[in-house]
Amino acid sequence: MVFNSYTFIVFFIIMLVLHNLPLPWKIKKINLLIASYIFYAAWNPPFVLLLWLATIVDFYVGKALYTQPNKYKRHLLLVISLIGNLGMLCFFKYGGFLLENFTHLVNAMGINYHPAKPNIILPAGISFYTFTTLCYTIDMYKRRSEPVKSMLDFALFVTFFPHLVAGPIVRPPQLVPQFETPRTANQKQLLQGLLLISLGLFMKVVLADSMLANPANTVFNSNDALNTLDAWMGVLAFSGQIFFDFAGYSSCAIGVASCLGFVLPENFLYPYAAIGFSDFWRRWHITLSAWLRDYLYIPLGGNRHGKFKTYINLMITMLLGGLWHGANWTFVAWGALHGFYLWVEKFMQDLKTRKKPVPEMVMQSNIVTRGIMAPRFLKTVQSSNFLLALFTFFLVNVTWVFFRAPDFTSAWRILTSMFSHVSKGTVLLSTLTIIKVSVIVVAMVLFHWFMRNTRVLTVASKLPWWVLGLIWSAMLILLILSQESSSSFIYFQF
Amino acid sequence: MEASSLKKAGILSLIVALIIMGCWEFYLRSIGVSNSFDDNEALWAYKRAQIYDEPERSTFFIGSSRIKFDIDLRTWKEVTGEKPVQLALVGTSPQLILKNLADDKNFNGKLIVDGTEFILFSRDPGDQESAKKSIEYYKKWTPAQKASFYIDYVLQRNLVFLESKKFSLNGILDLLTLAERKSVPVFRGFPIGFEPTTFDRQNVMSDDFTNDTTRQRQVKNAWIQFGAVSSTPGIKGDSLQNIFKDLKISIDKIKASGGQVIFLRPPSSGEARAGERIAYPRELYWNKLLQYTNTPGIYFEDYPEIANFECPEWSHLSRQQAVVFTKKIIEILQKEKGWVFNNKQTTSFNNINAKNF
Repeated sequence: MVFNSYTFIVFFIIMLVLHNLPLPWKIKKINLLIASYIFYAAWNPPFVLLLWLATIVDFYVGKALYTQPNKYKRHLLLVISLIGNLGMLCFFKYGGFLLENFTHLVNAMGINYHPAKPNIILPAGISFYTFTTLCYTIDMYKRRSEPVKSMLDFALFVTFFPHLVAGPIVRPPQLVPQFETPRTANQKQLLQGLLLISLGLFMKVVLADSMLANPANTVFNSNDALNTLDAWMGVLAFSGQIFFDFAGYSSCAIGVASCLGFVLPENFLYPYAAIGFSDFWRRWHITLSAWLRDYLYIPLGGNRHGKFKTYINLMITMLLGGLWHGANWTFVAWGALHGFYLWVEKFMQDLKTRKKPVPEMVMQSNIVTRGIMAPRFLKTVQSSNFLLALFTFFLVNVTWVFFRAPDFTSAWRILTSMFSHVSKGTVLLSTLTIIKVSVIVVAMVLFHWFMRNTRVLTVASKLPWWVLGLIWSAMLILLILSQESSSSFIYFQF
Repeated sequence: MEASSLKKAGILSLIVALIIMGCWEFYLRSIGVSNSFDDNEALWAYKRAQIYDEPERSTFFIGSSRIKFDIDLRTWKEVTGEKPVQLALVGTSPQLILKNLADDKNFNGKLIVDGTEFILFSRDPGDQESAKKSIEYYKKWTPAQKASFYIDYVLQRNLVFLESKKFSLNGILDLLTLAERKSVPVFRGFPIGFEPTTFDRQNVMSDDFTNDTTRQRQVKNAWIQFGAVSSTPGIKGDSLQNIFKDLKISIDKIKASGGQVIFLRPPSSGEARAGERIAYPRELYWNKLLQYTNTPGIYFEDYPEIANFECPEWSHLSRQQAVVFTKKIIEILQKEKGWVFNNKQTTSFNNINAKNF
């Protein structure tokens, strides 16, 4: 079920009613759990079995990991959990990719091997709930937090429908305690939730689907060398599309949870106002970058084993982060490019701090609270330095080419069209489309810049009620008028 | 912001949105806009699923827009007593749909294939795109999408502004007149009343449209823009032969499953017909198609009652013409082609006319 569908509206109204009935808290939690399974099964009912499997295995393995005194048995339990979680992810998401690459490899070695192409359907959101369950077992192994006492609470933590298929990726301490005591939304939470849902749907349906998806698809699906303006417009449209699509989903998720009385972590903080790439990753898909930092970068050694190792760890984290997004080398290239940008940024930071080394502990605490890697030197940059943010946005756009292009040939073709004069490059986009993309992208970047140090609910709270009401109604009207069919969110495929 | 201010803002937003959308609906109705269903993948999938209902008591139609306008489904149902299922897709070659039905072992119904040459004999990926999308959508049609489809049906039945092609945000913005870039073809959509779609996926021109030569001229210009009235010679050689071959494979499969297939060449007139005569001579395309696939066909020009329709915009029949055309096709199928329909009330031919709508 997607948030931008009539089915969800009906489903959500029923859930709100049920959740506000005078029922025991346990019954309400069971309602939420059943609803979450229905929410998921509405895509493809058999895949609920995978959720059940992951829930049951990780609940018991997690408990055993925490209580087991024998070091070797604990290692073994962790391995079982990792194999279970990552094995499922590898099979469904990377099975075809691995087989394809293996085939290329053996063919290159002169062995004639041509297996049938596997027809594996990717369960929606598998990457998200795998990371959710994985962090629980790793936390249990490290004894970072107490095991969840009740199977019901654990199942709800894994399956809670607002975050289930596309995040935000939640950690047990963020959500499990919320299931322990009765919760319903007060009037303010409910209205803030509805405002966030309206905003999220407006971003997804009006801006991403209705205005930007078509130009992005037209440009990226073209097999021709393109006119420079068209290539740029297509890439800028995709930059906007992917932000509005994913940030829209996150706003809806947070809003839906708020209407039910729960709090989910923020996932986006105006990323196109980022100054530098570490700042970008503190603002883009925050819960993923924090996950990668805590469960990959730091376990790899982080910045604790010298500069060279830090650079290597950084690149490994970004490469795997890229691969997490999809089973294609273009995603790895996207991650590599981000890794390279972070290298350059870190190199500049190291040059600046050479004379004045920063203690490790300070660095770590900063990381934990704010994001993956804080660029200390950039903190001195004046907030008015809009040009640096624009330069970052420009570089981000280059990375999106690899993210969106179906293959490297297409990516190079678009990059060539963007950065060189292609004589007789194909002209694809109409004047109206160019105006739409330009207006939306310029407005988006300016909006991000002016909002970079605040939050939408904070700004909304300062507006006179009638101004907020008119803005809200404009969003609703455009939402109804756009009449986009309920297309999936881009991140469902990841 | 206090909860009370948020509440006031929320109520204001709802009131403003309801008033504006209500006024929009009222305005559209006042200018004569009637209900039309979005002819999207969900509606197609819903109809596609009907092949399992009573295939032996149904007739299925595939092809492009001509068969969607020209076969009047209500007339079909009343005369034959059988359920007509419209699976044609606008601007789309029936090749992939035919293959999809042929590959479905459960399909053994009666099938009428639109024989409009420039689209039937096309290998242009653009002419296959809608079919590809619709088939994929049908295969992956989720329970959630099905539920949304039924809710959408109720809303579209009651609100005219939900016709997305014309009255969506993009549809409205498309009406803006701007200086266009060279070599970018811009299509601003068909005029109101040309292609309203019923829930059965039939396109029916409104009476306003059939009386308005200005709007008809707009559609004719669109056909010129799309190259649909071109006299450029059609596909030939191996490419044409491969299409014949693919069609034959699919048709043979359907026949083997107990189904019946017939080609139908719907009428056209004016410049469209003139272009088709040059681009797709009957002896090189239609006759060879029937011969190669060993399949019967009905060519409109062979029957005086339906040979000389003046299509309002050269390419499709009006509602009144479609009723006449449909009745004649049923008669030909029964009397000439040996098709048997479950309902025997063939005498009702003359009792049905366009006023029934």
